[in-house]
Formats: sequence, C-alpha cells, structure tokens
Amino acid sequence: MNQFTVLVKKELIQLVREIKLVWFPLVFIFLGITQPVVSYYMPSILEMLGGGQGISIDPSMMAQSGGEVLASTLGSQFDQLGVMIIVISLMGIVQSDKASGMLAFILTRPVKVGSYLSGKVFSHYVFIAFSVAVGYIVSYIYTQFLFTGIPLEDLSIALLLYLLWVLFIVSFTTMISTIFNSQGVIALLSIAILLGCRVIVGLNPFLDTINPASMSTYGMELLVGGVLNSNVFWSILITLILSALAINISNTWISRKKYRID
Amino acid sequence: MKLEIKNVTKSFKTKTAVNHFSMEIQSGECVALAGPNGAGKSTLIKLISDIMNPDQGEVLLNGKNISKMKKEIGYLPQYPNFFPWMTANETLNFMGRLSDIGKNDLERGIPWVLSKVGLSGEENSKVGTFSGGMKQRLGIAQALLHKPSLILMDEPVSSLDPIGRREVLNIINEIKEETTILLSTHILGDAEEICERFVIIKDGRKIEDATMIDLLKRNNKDKLYFEITEKVKDWVREIGAFDYVKNVDLTGNRVKVEVDNIGLNKDMLLKNALKNNVNLVQFKIDSESLEEIFLKLVVDK
Repeated sequence: MNQFTVLVKKELIQLVREIKLVWFPLVFIFLGITQPVVSYYMPSILEMLGGGQGISIDPSMMAQSGGEVLASTLGSQFDQLGVMIIVISLMGIVQSDKASGMLAFILTRPVKVGSYLSGKVFSHYVFIAFSVAVGYIVSYIYTQFLFTGIPLEDLSIALLLYLLWVLFIVSFTTMISTIFNSQGVIALLSIAILLGCRVIVGLNPFLDTINPASMSTYGMELLVGGVLNSNVFWSILITLILSALAINISNTWISRKKYRID
Repeated sequence: MKLEIKNVTKSFKTKTAVNHFSMEIQSGECVALAGPNGAGKSTLIKLISDIMNPDQGEVLLNGKNISKMKKEIGYLPQYPNFFPWMTANETLNFMGRLSDIGKNDLERGIPWVLSKVGLSGEENSKVGTFSGGMKQRLGIAQALLHKPSLILMDEPVSSLDPIGRREVLNIINEIKEETTILLSTHILGDAEEICERFVIIKDGRKIEDATMIDLLKRNNKDKLYFEITEKVKDWVREIGAFDYVKNVDLTGNRVKVEVDNIGLNKDMLLKNALKNNVNLVQFKIDSESLEEIFLKLVVDK
C-alpha cells in the first residue's frame, strides 16, 4: 500500500471519528431543501405576515419553473452559505497539521509532499462533492414535487459543472491553509476571495472565461434556459489549470520548508 | 552507519541558530547534545531529521544526503503530538505504513514495540487520553518501529515528571544496545546516565566534544570537602593562609578547599582541623560534577 492510500484512509477515518460524515451532508441537504420550500410558501408567508391588505403578490412567483428554483439553490444557497461552510470546514486542512507539528512529523517519514497534499485534496474533495451532490439531489426532489421537473441531462451536467467550481474552492482553500498560519486569516481570506470571484461573474466576458466561479453560473444558465454557454470548454480547462496551480503552489511551499515550525 | 554533519549553518530572521557546526557519529554510539535553552539543539536535530534545510553545509548519512535516507531515521519530537482520535495501535500502523512497512511486518512489529516501551494493554486506547509519559513512550515506539539505524530524540525526558523520566530513561538505556542514538538535553544528569559522548553547543557553535570520562579527567581539580557543625570562621581563615591552599569556599556548613597536591595536603589539613577542635561531620575528596563542568563551559566560554 503506498503512502497516498494510507493518507486518504487516515482522512476518511478522521471524517468518521469527528462525525463530519454526518453533519456536513446534512448541512447541504438543509440548504437544498430551503430554496424550493421557501419559494413555494413565499406567497402564503407574505400573505400571513402582511395581513392580506394592500399587498399584491406577483403571480409569476408561483409560476417559477423547476429549473429556476434549482438554479437559485446553487446561486443563493450553495454559493453563499455553502461556500462559507466549505471554507470553514477546510481552513485547518493543512494549518492544523502545521500547528500540531504533525506535518513535520509525517515528513520525517519517506513521504512525498505530493502524496500528502494529494491525499488531503482528494479525500476532502470527494467527500465535499458527495455532500454537495446529496444536497443538490434532495433539492431537486423537492423542486420536482413542488414545481416542475428538469431534464435529467441538464440536471447532471449542471451538477458536474458546479462540482468543478467546488474543486477550485477546495484546492484554493488548501493553498491558503498551507501559506497562512492563523485560522481566522485563512477563513477570511478564502471566503473574501471566493465570494469575490462569484460576485464579479457577469461583469466582463473575458473575466468570466478565466473565473472558476463561472462554472456555477453556467450550471444555472443550463438549468434555467437549457443552453450551455459557448465558453464553457475554456472555462473548464482554466478551472482545472487553476486548481492544479493552487495545489502546485502548496507543494512547492511545503517542499521548500517555508511553513513555520514552532 | 555513519552520520556526518558538515559545516551546517541555519539562520532565522534575527539570529543564527546553528553556526558552522560539524560532527560525526559512528555506528553504535550514544551521543548527548547538551546546551542551555536556545543554544540551537532543537534546530540542529531538525536539520538532521530533514525537517528544515540548512542555509549552508550538509548532513550525510552513509555518504548520502539525509533527505534520501529517511527510512534509516527514527525521530522523536520534543512534544510528540499524535492525532488524539487515533488509538495507539492505529498511530503505529499509520506511521509504519508511511515508512513502507508491510502489513505482515506491522502485525508482528507493533506488539513487539509496544511491549518494549511498556504500553502493552493500551493498544486500543485513544492517544488523546494518554499522559505525557505515555505519549513520549509511544513516540519512542514509533521511532523504533521501522528499525532505523539512527534515532534522533529532541529533549526526550525534559518535560516529564520524575516517574515518567525514569521510565523513558530505562527504555533508552535498553534500546541503545541496538541502535545509534543522538539525543538533545539541557539536563546533564539524564544524559550522564545513558550517553558516553557529550557534544556541548552554545549559541549555535560546538564548544566541546568529548567522552564523559575525558571531560571529567580534563576538568579534574580535586577538592577537599569538609562538612562541619558550626561555622568556624577563624579556622577557615587560618587554612586560607597556608601556601598549599589555593582556594577556600565556605557555603553554610560546607567548606570546599582546593589544594596543590591532594595526596600530600589531605592529611595535613585534616590534622590541622583536629588540632583546632573543628567538629567534623563529613570529610571527603570531591571531584567536580559534570553539572559543574557543564556550567563552567557554558557560562565562561
């Protein structure tokens, strides 16, 4: 068994022991349910709170398509609270090993820095992607029940595009966690930059092509209108390159022993 | 096995922790790296265990750079910090696998190494519940597991209580028969028990490298030691005036006298004491302890 497998196995056992295996998917299931349920009951909620007088309810609220609702799950739930929760759950990914001395300790063994990092990124990405997918599917089940169905093809392609954005979130946070030593700084910096990327989508077509956060909007466009942006190929490529670059920078950083030792 | 440290230098922003340090360790030796706090001991151990890279110089094991010889090294950090959610067994399994030990070897090796450090019966307890001494012993277990030819220990007993210290010292005494050990310490009494060779480091420089016997012999200025019931200042003044007495040191009821020639002067002083009716409790020839020699080396030089 090589070191990569040993390290992945260790991460998975840790997910189980720290009960993250339970609460993390639950958070995304909760986020996934929120959007369709709130959208569905919004008119009744407004009616009750407003007392029914002098309020006119836009009838189009009721007429949302399933695609629109699921797209808002991605755009309003996963891309806001979801990103923050992913970042906060990952901020210690390398930092806690640096702080406890385990990183240095592990590296006194014949372990390649690459195996250590890829083990981390792989296990956490697979787990987070799984949680996001579960939340997404639950959201779809509610959407389809309360609104309309969505073609399976659009549904799965949108999810895959979104998971690429998640890949970038994971590798970027890993890089920040490698370079900085304070959890607060790591969380703040990662959240600010990632949400910043998400906010600037739509400002400039060129920026959109090189912005990994566009993957999320491409998915949403597909769900809403059934069409895929023509730049999607380049964006996928660039997102993959940027993710690889982030892991590479972490690798160089640790290999050159720039991380602080007590 | 041969470890060569060649002219290694490591600087941090404000200070040079290790300054042009060289030494060699041969197979089977047990070497204590002694020095005051902040002398660069931990940094040197980290340079040897390839946790840090030196700014200058190199560390070679059997002629090859240390970073290619990690399987041959067992490292015990100053505060071994394992994953608290792992059991002792899982920790050793994890560390062992990282060192490329096969499953079957681990199945045999883990119980062996646990019994060696006296942790049999604790294999399924979580490391988070371990005391400092138990963690240190688990740390030794993981350093031994892959049967390295060199074991590096950073302050293995400094943070332990007397019981834990005794346990760990006994274990080290046992394992030094089989491997080469380099350990750092600022408590010479501990090092004295296990190691024959001392390397003393101060401000990142090597200021002494000798066996314990050499060190004692070289600094052997025998003194006469009197313990008396009451201060007899007149007598102390009187012997201080003799021309063969080089130095008299009175602390409390203890008088230390340095003389020209122990063999000749011992009886003369004793007779003199009896003549003056000095009430003696104890009289002996006292050589300098290692601790005193260490203090002198570190403070004076």
